Amino acid sequence: MLCLSRLRQIVDRLIPEIINGIVLGAFYAIIAIGLSLIMNLTGTVNLAHGSFLTLAGYLAFVLLQYGTNFWVALGVSAILTVIVGLIVERSMIRPLYKRIPLYSLLLTFGLSLIFEELFRKIWGPQAVPFSAPQYLQGVTEVGNVLLPTYRLVIMGVLVIAMLGLLFFLYRTRMGLRLRGAVLNTEMMAALGINTQTLYMMNFAIGIFLAAVAGILASGLIGLSPTMGNGLLMPAFITVVIGGMGSLAGCLVGGLLVGLATSITTLYAPAFSEIVIYILMAAVLLVRPRGLFGEEGLFG
Amino acid sequence: MNRYANIAGMSLLAIVLLAMPEIMNGIKLNVSLGTTLLLFALAAASVNLLVGYTGMMAFGNAAFFGVGAYGSALFTHYILPDNMVVATIVGAVAGTLSAFVLAPFLIRRRGIYFALMTVAFGQVYYFIAYKWSNVTGGEDGFSITRPRLFGAHGMAMQGADYYYYVLVIFLLVMAFLYFLVRSPFGLSLRAISQNEVRVRYLAINSDRMLFKCLVISGMVAGIAGSLYSMSINFAYPLLMDWHQSGDFVMMTILGGAGTLWGPFLGAIIYTLASNVLSSKTELWQVFIGALFVICVLFFPKGILGFLSRTATTTEDVDTSTPRARAEAVIEGEPG
Repeated sequence: MLCLSRLRQIVDRLIPEIINGIVLGAFYAIIAIGLSLIMNLTGTVNLAHGSFLTLAGYLAFVLLQYGTNFWVALGVSAILTVIVGLIVERSMIRPLYKRIPLYSLLLTFGLSLIFEELFRKIWGPQAVPFSAPQYLQGVTEVGNVLLPTYRLVIMGVLVIAMLGLLFFLYRTRMGLRLRGAVLNTEMMAALGINTQTLYMMNFAIGIFLAAVAGILASGLIGLSPTMGNGLLMPAFITVVIGGMGSLAGCLVGGLLVGLATSITTLYAPAFSEIVIYILMAAVLLVRPRGLFGEEGLFG
Repeated sequence: MNRYANIAGMSLLAIVLLAMPEIMNGIKLNVSLGTTLLLFALAAASVNLLVGYTGMMAFGNAAFFGVGAYGSALFTHYILPDNMVVATIVGAVAGTLSAFVLAPFLIRRRGIYFALMTVAFGQVYYFIAYKWSNVTGGEDGFSITRPRLFGAHGMAMQGADYYYYVLVIFLLVMAFLYFLVRSPFGLSLRAISQNEVRVRYLAINSDRMLFKCLVISGMVAGIAGSLYSMSINFAYPLLMDWHQSGDFVMMTILGGAGTLWGPFLGAIIYTLASNVLSSKTELWQVFIGALFVICVLFFPKGILGFLSRTATTTEDVDTSTPRARAEAVIEGEPG
């Protein structure tokens, strides 16, 4: 009986952390999917991805200050962020597609410096008060466990976004072309398909996912100029763990990283940041290509 | 003509390096800026070994730099207070070991995967320095008093003295790199950057070559870091952050990757630019970012590559993937 109650205690302590881990993991997964899409098609490691997350958060913050409905703000600022992203892609990243990936890496790194400084100049270096609307803030009872409503909403939105992406990639003609172009762009171009349209669309999807994640994360972990870059590093690790070129890999990798972080936070807070690197090293030792990665893709 | 230009350039460089403390005094700057120039140049040279010669996108060399910095700072504080020479060696060993630990993982992948892994694994050291605060001082950093040259009664090594100490080590490392990139080992590194598959067919173990290259790069970065922490009498976690790595890569590209003196030139321009800009405007990071963008878009081969056609810079047109070939054809440039 005593043993059972202790077990119960442990489980009660674990469940909130597991929920935290899953929500965190979902963020990492959706950011990693965006990164991975852009990487697979164009070989661009987008170091400015975190800046787009933050940008979307600030745009939503401005809209909410004017009393816009939360969901409208979510949609509008995501679309505005995508437009900014497309301008950047067309004007600066496009000329680099024919060069080795180092250059786009450096370019996006420079962009992230510019963005971060501008955020700091416009909205100040401190976190701004960004909170989800009142009706999303309470707790919901699921079974006999109390869960924060906002976290459930986040899960819902991220799941819908992922399902939407899967539908697009696997059930539409455009998605088919996109997957084909990842395998062989040269062949796609030879078949008379405008690859530039594909690049734009692909980049837009990646930025859109980042923007949605950025706005939702602002309500959860607070909005500051470095918010996006804080989420970017675990997303990189997610890509490495999951394996390049695999959506399932990003999902599983994200959940692993999220759960590992939150459970270590409970038992050994000092190691919460380092544990994901250990996880990455372990995966690389056993399966260098990542859990779901395909051999040969990007060496 | 080219040979005379070389000799003239080298003599000018020698004069500038020797007279640096005087020049810095003349333009009302601190001698320590001259020291910083040399050390960032060394760090950029360590990046250059990977990026310029081997063609690997190394984005994590600040980690080795930072481990070197902490290595000699902690050594000076906890073990042997007044011995700069030994502290420098300890920093070099620390940098070498930090690369040695990561290299077995890093050599498993190439291309953008390698870039991702260098960024990510570099952060490990950052978090160790950040979290292990009762030893490393955590976020606040770790201050030291600059050690004397050799023993408690040795030279005090302030101002210009320290600059010349750094200069001697800088020249030794540059000479080492000069012979390294011309050795058979250096040639096989360059061969890897051009066609790794063919290198493997020639029965050269490219993994092992890359491993050695990483360790040497870690050593050079460690030396630079160790001298840097003794220069500013301080070591702090942000030294190891991937932003710092990005700066080192930028210096390399800015000057000209794949040339011996390119990173040095890049480090000078970058350090002076950020020094001047940060004293003039709050928005200096925006200008540094803009420098990145302009350099990448318009001077991809860096300043030395732009000036000289014979320089062995990295190929900026990629022909290894179908995507890049398609792009090159669409743009009307045969790859």
